Amino acid sequence: MSKKKTRVTVELTRRDVLSLVGVATGSAVAAVVLTSGPLSPFAGLQREQVTAGQESAGHGATGVNHWGMVINLDSCIGCEYCLRACSAVNDVRTDKPWNIVVPEETTNGRPFYFSRPCLHCQVAPCVEVCPVKATSVRPDGLVVMDYDRCIGCRYCEVACPYDARKFNWETNTEVNPYIPTWGIAEEPRRPRGVVEKCTFCIHRIDAGLKNGLLPGVDPEATPACVNICPVNARTFGDLKDPESNVSVLIADNPTIVLREELGTRPSVYYIPPKEGL
Amino acid sequence: MAAIPLETKPVKFNPGLLAWMALIGLLLLVGLVSAIQVFWKGLVITNMSNTVPWGLWITIDLSSIALGAGAFTLSAIVYLLGLKNFKPIIRLAVFVGFIGYSTALLTLVMDIGRPDRFWHPWVYWNIHSVLWEITWCITIYLTIMLLEFLPVVTELKFFDRWPWVRQAANWLHNAAPALALLGLLISLLHQSSLGATYGILKSRPIWFKPSMPILFILSAVAVGPALTMAVAIVIEWITGKRTIAPDILQIIARFSGFGLLVYGYLRFWDVMATTYYGRTPSVVEGFTLLRESTPYNFSFWVLEILLGVVVPAIFFLVPYFNRRPPFLVLGAMMATFGVIVNRWNVTVSGLTVPLSYSPGTLYTSPVGSYFPSLTEWGVALGVIGYALLMLTLGVLFLPLFSKKEEHA
Repeated sequence: MSKKKTRVTVELTRRDVLSLVGVATGSAVAAVVLTSGPLSPFAGLQREQVTAGQESAGHGATGVNHWGMVINLDSCIGCEYCLRACSAVNDVRTDKPWNIVVPEETTNGRPFYFSRPCLHCQVAPCVEVCPVKATSVRPDGLVVMDYDRCIGCRYCEVACPYDARKFNWETNTEVNPYIPTWGIAEEPRRPRGVVEKCTFCIHRIDAGLKNGLLPGVDPEATPACVNICPVNARTFGDLKDPESNVSVLIADNPTIVLREELGTRPSVYYIPPKEGL
Repeated sequence: MAAIPLETKPVKFNPGLLAWMALIGLLLLVGLVSAIQVFWKGLVITNMSNTVPWGLWITIDLSSIALGAGAFTLSAIVYLLGLKNFKPIIRLAVFVGFIGYSTALLTLVMDIGRPDRFWHPWVYWNIHSVLWEITWCITIYLTIMLLEFLPVVTELKFFDRWPWVRQAANWLHNAAPALALLGLLISLLHQSSLGATYGILKSRPIWFKPSMPILFILSAVAVGPALTMAVAIVIEWITGKRTIAPDILQIIARFSGFGLLVYGYLRFWDVMATTYYGRTPSVVEGFTLLRESTPYNFSFWVLEILLGVVVPAIFFLVPYFNRRPPFLVLGAMMATFGVIVNRWNVTVSGLTVPLSYSPGTLYTSPVGSYFPSLTEWGVALGVIGYALLMLTLGVLFLPLFSKKEEHA
């Protein structure tokens, strides 16, 4: 009798054991993948913590440099030279400039001028939503477009909090009125059906670095909008270099970034008007 | 083996059918002409703009996928809950689902700026993008529905000459429950993430809320089966053959009715939480703008809620109406229209509200305004023509209501 009893309690077949082992291994693998892989719900959080650790320096870029811009709203006179130089150098359509300049007003009703290139966010909503990784954040902080990969779904355009992206609804055949007065085209026109935006004149930065020039210091390696500004309202440089023009400006002046609460970590800092915003 | 049924039914081309086919042909012709225009001249001939870069076509995508949800909902009822009496409608549900999803893909190819690169999401992955996830889910789910439906196609007399095709199909048929479950998972994912497409955009005040994916999937689960039910009734009216037992259709209607009530309840709290109790200045500004410059209030309260949710729920749930098929069809039509208006409202209203990012007090991005162009309507008519053509061909030539399923 007792023998029979024991036999009943140990009714584990090889199949059971195997499936148990299988399930256990599977769960373990799933657990590891889910908590440590890119699928992890905490992956974003961890990245956030890492970037928060660098907060004292103020950058999120992973490379040696982090190219950024400081725009002084106090000195901007709204002449739109930046818009024109940008549109000439990058051969941008006149009806959807990459760089906008608009009249603004502080809460006290004092007028000032506001201008906006692409802010080159380090946690860029446009990069996060792109279904084909046609846009990405480079290690040096630039948000770049791959025009050969973009499928033209326009999700990035919808997701950008700063209205910085523009879609090519048709082939650009217009005569660019800003050429040659404000510069000559240094970049080919983008094809129909893809999204485009300000590049911080990436072609100048990359070529300049190759030739031993320093972006933000040497004009050949600096964005066109920065070079042309008659009142030096725009400054460009390496946010990671504490000696650079931009870092010194940020250290010496109160600065804001646009819609900081969204956590996009833009590379463009604004010095507000002296009277406050 | 048992899968060789088929009383052959010769299709008679009566004047009514011919007129119907002529109408479909006309729709397809309009669609074709419009499509050629779009491919030739580019998206510039649409009324979409950089302020409102999504419009009628996205509305069609979202709606047709939501309306195809009958396939996965009814599959879940049969295979997950084990309610076998609903099995006779599965074929039709999967067929309607397939039409919905392929319609969406067709429209999507028109809508993207580079149709030649439609395959990029399959090769270049960005797993952080909901749109990437949606593309994959839709691709996989369309394949699943195709596999689920292939056995039905192979029942055609045409395949008599290749017995191995039937055998393969039979094998596939046995895998139907597994396919249905896989499809269920995939559907749950992407029906919600279509809503998340909007819900995750933190810069858009009236979109950014966690209820978005839930509202999308609930409305799809509620209305999808109702559309399948209505299609079954209409097919019965036209062919004069009883296809699916009336009590089954009434239960589906009741299910949809309850689904609509649940959806309506959540929608109510969504509105209360975002625009009343927990309102933020940007949301209030957004809705004020919509109320003052667009017919949003009317289209939301009257078309979406009253005619799209409340009245259909009454038709589906009150026994007096539930017993009468015309009311069920009417209710399904209204609920379908409600879903379409909802997807339109979500898309266009969210884009109408401008972005505010300037540190000053004056400037916002331009206020959106959008009404589809003639070409956009033409493409829309074309894809409707495609859907109707598929449905008609299916009813004429495919054993959508095989007796076999009932005994299986």
